[in-house]
Amino acid sequence: MATHRSRALWSRVMRSCRLPGFRSSWPRGPLGARHVSQEKQATETHFGFETVSEEEKGGKGDIAFRFLNYVHEQHKGKQKRQLRAQQNLSWEEIAKKYQSEEDPLGGSRVVVCDINKEMLKIGKQKARAQGHKAGKSYGLAWVLGDAEELPFDDDKFDVYTIAFGIRNVTHIDQALQEAHRVLKPGGRFLCLEFSQVNNPLISRLYDLYSFQVIPVLGEVIAGDWKSYQYLVESIRQFPSQEEFKEMIEDAGFEKVTYESLTSGIVAIHSGFKL
Amino acid sequence: MGTLLRSALRPLRRLGGLRGQAADVPLRGVRHGAAGLLYPGHIPTSPLQKALLAAGSAGMALYNPYRHDMVAVLGETTGLRALKVLRDQMRKDPEGAEILQKRPRISLSTLDLDKLRSLPEGSLGQEYLCFLDVNRVSPDTRAPTRFVDDEELAYVIQRYREIHDMLHTLLGMPTNILGEIVVKWFEAVQTGLPMCILGALFGPIRLSAQSLQVLVSELIPWAIQNGRRAPCVLNLYYERRWEQPLRALREELGITDPPTVHVRGLA
Repeated sequence: MATHRSRALWSRVMRSCRLPGFRSSWPRGPLGARHVSQEKQATETHFGFETVSEEEKGGKGDIAFRFLNYVHEQHKGKQKRQLRAQQNLSWEEIAKKYQSEEDPLGGSRVVVCDINKEMLKIGKQKARAQGHKAGKSYGLAWVLGDAEELPFDDDKFDVYTIAFGIRNVTHIDQALQEAHRVLKPGGRFLCLEFSQVNNPLISRLYDLYSFQVIPVLGEVIAGDWKSYQYLVESIRQFPSQEEFKEMIEDAGFEKVTYESLTSGIVAIHSGFKL
Repeated sequence: MGTLLRSALRPLRRLGGLRGQAADVPLRGVRHGAAGLLYPGHIPTSPLQKALLAAGSAGMALYNPYRHDMVAVLGETTGLRALKVLRDQMRKDPEGAEILQKRPRISLSTLDLDKLRSLPEGSLGQEYLCFLDVNRVSPDTRAPTRFVDDEELAYVIQRYREIHDMLHTLLGMPTNILGEIVVKWFEAVQTGLPMCILGALFGPIRLSAQSLQVLVSELIPWAIQNGRRAPCVLNLYYERRWEQPLRALREELGITDPPTVHVRGLA
């Protein structure tokens, strides 16, 4: 029942203007996502180009797009280096080499999963606008699913990322356990989420902005006070960096670390399934 | 340095108040549910939030005139003093006091449409129904009050919203932009609500020169005259006066016939 209610809530939020949500996490939203993808790029070089697939939570797919672009760039670079290594190729053979490449991603795939159909729809629109295409050949798949009960088999993914999503899950520990289940041994869990501010001055200003300004913006722009009040309250309810680290460790992850951004307004947690 | 910062932030804290709790919440009325809620749909707001809401809703209402909810929010956040005056006026009048006590609501569920339709031609009930039909409006589109921190005043502003169509009928004004502005002027003079005054002053901004001329030369003076002459329209128990002929009611209130104006492009 709780999932049903959160589905309805998020459909309501999606129907209104998306901008206010951006304002509540700006500038941390896009910067945070970029930071997470950079973290993952470090993972990729560590594990080489054999990353078969990665899962992402969060229907809009910002991290997925960055990952795909990165892999694409890397693959192109690899292709160039391979060609340079081969000598005495005629220009026809080189052209054929470039054209015959069926998989521009070298086997990498991304699965984007979200509980809300509207979110997935928006993500698909964004993908199309950026030139990515869904389907196995181009590495991007969109799946409707619940983080507490993922529709995937065990040991399937190299990386699991979730950005500003886990706070909305009713049973966070179940979501963490599912993340552990679907990751391959050696896989990495990455979570970007609002966290506790460690600086008292910034905390006071942040509270003032969150509680006084954000619901007003929600009402004026989207005609919806209640959803944005819920948003700022759910942010406060989320456990602190240390507590969340312990929850991730309880789910079976090891080498769990976190990094606070903007004095702790958001934090990136990372753990490995070993 | 720390104490300096702390003293700088103290006024901020007072402005913000407790997380969303209103500053002075009178201890009357039934408490609904969670702490601080005075009536269903009540959202307690701090003075800072009210100020931001007032500014934001005014801007948004100007930018997008179809956002009627913003006009309602503007009325609620700016109307405290005027609502108190209105409420005191209603208390002094016998019919108004009864309205405050009985709290009648005008909506499709409370109106007996068949009975109204069976009333004689020219009666208030008939004319009101006719107005709703011709202009294709319904009394159910009024937003419920949310940001007024007094349960009785919340009812007063709700009543003011619900009799808006009644005023259209009384004044004989259609629901086009000119008609709405005329009714707003009448309401501004009658109620003194800042939202009405702002609406009356800024409503004509997007009008054509011809409409503006007609408005300023004939319609507005007529509205102001009648607004001052008539007793407070919130004191009328409309639900008891359905059979009263509209003409007789207009005479009772001192409302003269509206000036006939012909403006190109408006019905």
